[in-house]
Amino acid sequence: MKVVSKIIIMLLLSTTISFSSGVKKYGKEITLEEKTKISDILKNPVEFEGKKVLVEGTVVGVCEKRGCWIKLASDKGYGTIKIKVNDGEIVFPLEAKGKKALVEGKVYSLVTKTKHEHKDGDKECENESAQKKIYQIKGLGAVIK
Amino acid sequence: MKFRKLIRILHRDIGYVAFGLTIIYSISGIAVNHVDDWNPNYSITKDTLIIPSEIDVKKPKKELIKNLSEIFQIKDSVKSFFKSSPFTIDVFFNKKTLSANLKTRVAILERVENRPILRESNFLHLNNPKKIWTWVADIFALSLILLAATGLFMVKGKKGIKGRGKWLTLLGIIIPLFFLYLYF
Repeated sequence: MKVVSKIIIMLLLSTTISFSSGVKKYGKEITLEEKTKISDILKNPVEFEGKKVLVEGTVVGVCEKRGCWIKLASDKGYGTIKIKVNDGEIVFPLEAKGKKALVEGKVYSLVTKTKHEHKDGDKECENESAQKKIYQIKGLGAVIK
Repeated sequence: MKFRKLIRILHRDIGYVAFGLTIIYSISGIAVNHVDDWNPNYSITKDTLIIPSEIDVKKPKKELIKNLSEIFQIKDSVKSFFKSSPFTIDVFFNKKTLSANLKTRVAILERVENRPILRESNFLHLNNPKKIWTWVADIFALSLILLAATGLFMVKGKKGIKGRGKWLTLLGIIIPLFFLYLYF
C-alpha cells in the first residue's frame, strides 16, 4: 500500500506543476514559421483559400457553449477572423478572451443564408434567398499566451 | 481459486478503482447532456450599464479605459482591448469583458465564473487533455466492461443470472434498442 500512496502523491504533485504553466497549447503542433497578417487574409481572402496559414492576434471572442471557435482581431482596422475547430477536438476556454493567440489552420469559405424578415400588415414574409460567402480558418493547432 | 471467488475479487477491486472516475463521468454526463439549455462549464452574467455623461468618451483609449474601470468599479488589471468599430470598444479583464458603445453610452459587463467540479469533470470526460489521458479513459472504459461482465456472475441461484438476473439484463439491453428503433 505504501507504493500506491507514493504513486498517488507523485500524481498530485505533477498535476500542480502542469497547472502552473501560462502558455497553453491546443490541437496539433504548429509547423509553419512564417506568419500571415490577418489583415492580408481579410483584404484578399480568395488568394488564401485552401492554403495553410499561421496567424497571430488577440482573442476577442470565444464560443460560449462548446469552445469550438475563437475570433482573432485583425492587426489593422476593426476586422476579425473566425477560427473554427472540430467540436471536441480542440476546446477553447473562455479565459482565452483578451489573450494573444497563435493559430495554424486552413483558410476556407462557406456560404451562409441571411434571413430577411419583414411584416406586411398581418402577413409575415421570409426571404431566405440572400446568401453571403464568408471566409474562416479551420484551426488545426494553437498556442494561447 | 474458484471462478466465482475470482469474479468477486475482480469486481470488488476494479469497483474501488473505478469509483472516482465513474462519479466524475456521471456528473459530467448529466451536465453535458443539457448543453443546449445551459453552459456546463461557466456561469456567465451580463449587466447593462450606462456610461455617465461626465465620462468623456473622446479621450485617448488608455485614459478612457481607466475612467470606465473606475466608474464601474472594475479592479482587475486590463489584459487587452479591441475596437470593433469606430464607436465600440471591448476591454478584456481577467474573467470580465466590458463592451462599450461610445455612441449610445451603453456598456455590457460580462462576468465569467467557472462552475467548480463540473468544469474539471467535463474537461476529463470530454477528453480535452488528450495525450496519456486518452489511455486512462480507455482503460477506464475497459474496466467498466469488466465490472459489467463480472457483475453478471456475482450471485448464483434465483437472484443470479440464471434467475431474475437474466430478465433484468434483458431489460437493460431492450431499453437502448427501443430508443434506437424510435429515433434512429
